This record gives sequence, structure tokens and C-alpha cells, in this order.
Amino acid sequence: MSNLKVKIAGVEFKNPVITASGTFGFGKEYGEFYPISALGGICTKGLTLNKKEGNPPPRIAESYGGMLNSVGLQNPGIEHYLAEDDKRLAKEDVVVIANIAGSTLDDYKAIAERINDSHADMVELNISCPNVKQGGMAFGVLPKSVEQVTRAVKDVCEKPVITKLSPNVSCIADNARAAEAGGADAISLINTLSGMAVNYRTRRPILANNNGGMSGPCVKPVALKMVWDCYNAVKIPIIGLGGITTYTDVLEFMICGARAVQVGTANFINPTAAYDIVKDLEAYVEESGQDVNDLVGSLILN
Amino acid sequence: MKDRIATVKENVQVADGIWSMTLAFDDFEKVEGAQFLDIKLPDKSKILRRPFCICDFDEKKKTALVCYAVVGGGTEVLSGVKAGEKLNVLLPLGNGYRPVGKRIMLIGGGMGVAVLPAVVTANPDKEFFSYIGFANAGKVVLEKELASKCAGVTVATDDGSYGKKGFVTTVAREAFDAVRPDEIFVCGPEVMYKAVRKTFEGVDVPIYVSLEQRMGCGIGACLVCNCKVKRADGEGYVRVCKDGPVFLLNEVVL
Repeated sequence: MSNLKVKIAGVEFKNPVITASGTFGFGKEYGEFYPISALGGICTKGLTLNKKEGNPPPRIAESYGGMLNSVGLQNPGIEHYLAEDDKRLAKEDVVVIANIAGSTLDDYKAIAERINDSHADMVELNISCPNVKQGGMAFGVLPKSVEQVTRAVKDVCEKPVITKLSPNVSCIADNARAAEAGGADAISLINTLSGMAVNYRTRRPILANNNGGMSGPCVKPVALKMVWDCYNAVKIPIIGLGGITTYTDVLEFMICGARAVQVGTANFINPTAAYDIVKDLEAYVEESGQDVNDLVGSLILN
Repeated sequence: MKDRIATVKENVQVADGIWSMTLAFDDFEKVEGAQFLDIKLPDKSKILRRPFCICDFDEKKKTALVCYAVVGGGTEVLSGVKAGEKLNVLLPLGNGYRPVGKRIMLIGGGMGVAVLPAVVTANPDKEFFSYIGFANAGKVVLEKELASKCAGVTVATDDGSYGKKGFVTTVAREAFDAVRPDEIFVCGPEVMYKAVRKTFEGVDVPIYVSLEQRMGCGIGACLVCNCKVKRADGEGYVRVCKDGPVFLLNEVVL
């Protein structure tokens, strides 16, 4: 029977479409284009203990079929989020995932404890921001540290924890297993791919930060492969992301093993992208009688 | 603010490397001077929208004018769009310029001049004195459009090949005492804002500027188009697209 509802770590999503951290703010701006309650969930902008200014501009550069960003985790800090955005988001009928980042294990623990006081339904651990020297990326590379940071947060966090994995590693399946061993309730992947855009005239990188994280339609094949690799490595649910712009992309990610997906860069291409994808998915399951849960991991290898 | 489908009415070259595009909409909402629009390019490999100031608009005809220089791959694609084609356009975006005083001095440099006609159109009860500067005669645009609605237009070129010779900031400063504006609005490259700050030092009227930065979403969510401002509560980044693009010059950290 047709169905779009999915469940991850006991949390029910009305559909598998979640907006990706850093592309959707705290839901305010896109809320002017469509009711965000139409979405399965939203992931907040990455939150740190204290306010963070981020990197100098330019912070964005286009690449063929994609883009690079180097925002550097600019955010108003966890206290500001709790005071200003938490209650507003709690009123929306949508799963709220608080994305958190830190530079030390103590940071991660402290912020996870503060999130306990929020209305957020889940927590996503950003251990893979490529744009900050100590933006968690150090934790995201080696399996041992992925496990360590996941466990540290799980020890204090009362909400289900999703560990967000970096693709800039030697074997993402190892890191997926490490997150699972650390007690993660789910994993999300992929974060952006480390990259550079260069201006031949000035011989300089376009981004003030020199390097950035690449995202957009061009990264989809990499993401699909990594989701499939992780699906075969762990039992915990996977949230897939990387270049999703249409409902058929969502179906592909689910077939490769994702239980839900995140839509990021597509929001910039079209401000109603995530909403349009939900509507298209609704029409698809209605017409085909598909339960999307039956797609998860149904890939038939040649 | 809405994502609309625009019909391209005209897209023609009007000066050296500079194009003018008229977009027609089915519905239109009130536009403030210095607000901008964000165009989705008809090339899927170029995924980011391109922001341009609304050069001018006609509320009755539901049209907006975009005046742009072809400087890269995106604007090159845009220059190839033919009349009759449709484009996805987000507008109006950002906080525009809302003049309080009656007599306004407008200073534009290069493509920054493209912001000025809409500022005049949006404020029919004000008196505008425009000072527009270009590198040379071949780059001069929008002189006639501004002349038809301003109390005065003065053109300057860096090489003196058209109008007065010299930087437009100097030319405008020389005219300041005679014009006695209540406010000044400037649009141009950052180097020009530095020049204005220096030339107009001690001038006791508010000076507003319109900033630009590479943008992502265009609506304030992605935090990529940041600029630094210094206010009572300290120095920090704000969003050009949502908090701006218009700022008080003395608040902007250049």
C-alpha cells in the first residue's frame, strides 16, 4: 500500500524528505515560500556552544553542476537558538534535527547537554565540516575518533543521535561501523567533498578560505555509492544526501539503502525544491502504490 | 518575494560588454530602489542563480529591467537568451533604499549605475541629482533614462572621453555644496566606497551604499554573502541579501 512515512530511531517522519544542515537556516526564510510542516524534517544550521562568525567572503563558488562553500559554521550559538528558534520550530509539525559541532570532545558533550533542554527531536553530529580547522573534521576522519565523539555525545544526550559522515576519508564504511560501535542511532552521509575553485587570471582560489566543500548534482554518484557501501556495513538506519534535486533522486538513494534523505543545495537552485520533491513523491507513491520503506536497500547489482 | 516565471521581452547589447534585458511578469509587487532579483540560468550546469539589481521597473506594465555586464560564464549564457524565452526569477529581494530626505544625491560607478533608475522610479516625490561615472565613453549607460527623471545628471569618465574628466566621486564632491542634498546614495565597486569615505569626510548627511557579494540562496538562509559591519553592539557579519544590500556607509567595514 502506498506510504511515505518512515521511522528512524523511533522518530516518525511523515515523508523521507529532510532539509540539509546549513542550507535551510532555521526554517524561517523558506517558510515564506511554503509551509515547512509539509517536510518530513529539517536539520538546523550547525550549532556551536558560542556564537561563531565564520570565514571571510567570498564563501561560495560555482563548479560544473555544483558549488563549493566555505561558510565556516557561522551561527548565533546554542543559547541564541534555544531562546529564539527552538520554540518557533517546536510549533511546526515537522521533525527538528539539531545539528551540532564542536572542536573538542568537551564541546560536543556540553552542547549535547544543552540540546537536551530543547524541543529538537534528534541530534545530528557534525564531525565533518571541511571549512573549519577545528570544526569537527578532525573527529570525522579516523574511525577511532568517529566512535569516540559519537560515544561521548551518546553518554550525555537524551535524544537520538545521528552521526554525519565525511566522504573525505579512506573508507567510509569503516567510519559508519565506528559510528555504530559508538552507539549512533543513525548515520547521515555524505557531507561535502573537499575541493577548490581557481581563477586563472588572478591565480588565486575564488574562496577566501582557499578550500571549500563541494555539493550539488555533480556529487550524486559519489554519494549513492557511499550510501550503498554503508548500507552493507551497518544495521542502523542511513539518511542519504548529496546532490538530490528531484524525487527520482530520492528513490535512487532509498534503493541504495537510505531510509530518509536530505535536500541541500537544491534549495538554492529553486527555493521550493524540497517542497516540490515531497509533492512529486506523494504523486509517485499514490500512482504506483509503493511503500517507500520497501525500496530501502533494494538495489539489484549486475 | 516570490519565484516567478518571467517572459523575456528584450535582451540587447547597449554598450561595450553591457546588456539590457526587459522581463515581463504576470503578477508584480511593489519594488523598492536597490532591491534585487535572482535569475535561474537556462543552463543546468550552472546551478546557482545570478543576482542582479532591479535596474528599473514599471508597476503598471509589470516589467523589470536588468542591466548587466558580461563578465563570466553566467552572464554569457544570459546574454544568449532570446526575446520570448521564459526565465525563473525570484523578486523582489533584499532591503531597498528608503530615502527620508527630499533632495537626494545619487552617485554611481560603472555597473553600479544600474541601481539608480529604480531608486528614482520608486520615489517619485523626491528630487534626485545623479552623478554617474564610467571608465570611458564606450561604457556609458543609462544616462538618458536618468536624465528623464532626475533634476540633473552629470557624467564623468576616468579618461575624459565623455562628460567630465575624472573620478565621479570627486565630481560629486565638488557639486555637493551647490546641491545641498539631505542624503547621498552610492552604488559602485568597493574601491569607490573607500574613495567616497575619504572625499566626503566631514560631510554631515547620511551616506548609504549598496553592497554586492557572491550569493547562494538569495533569501538569507545560507549565510554565504556576508559582509562586515560595525554597529553599537560590535563588529560582525551580516547578510548582504537579507540584511542589505543597502547599508549606511559608516557602518560598513571596508
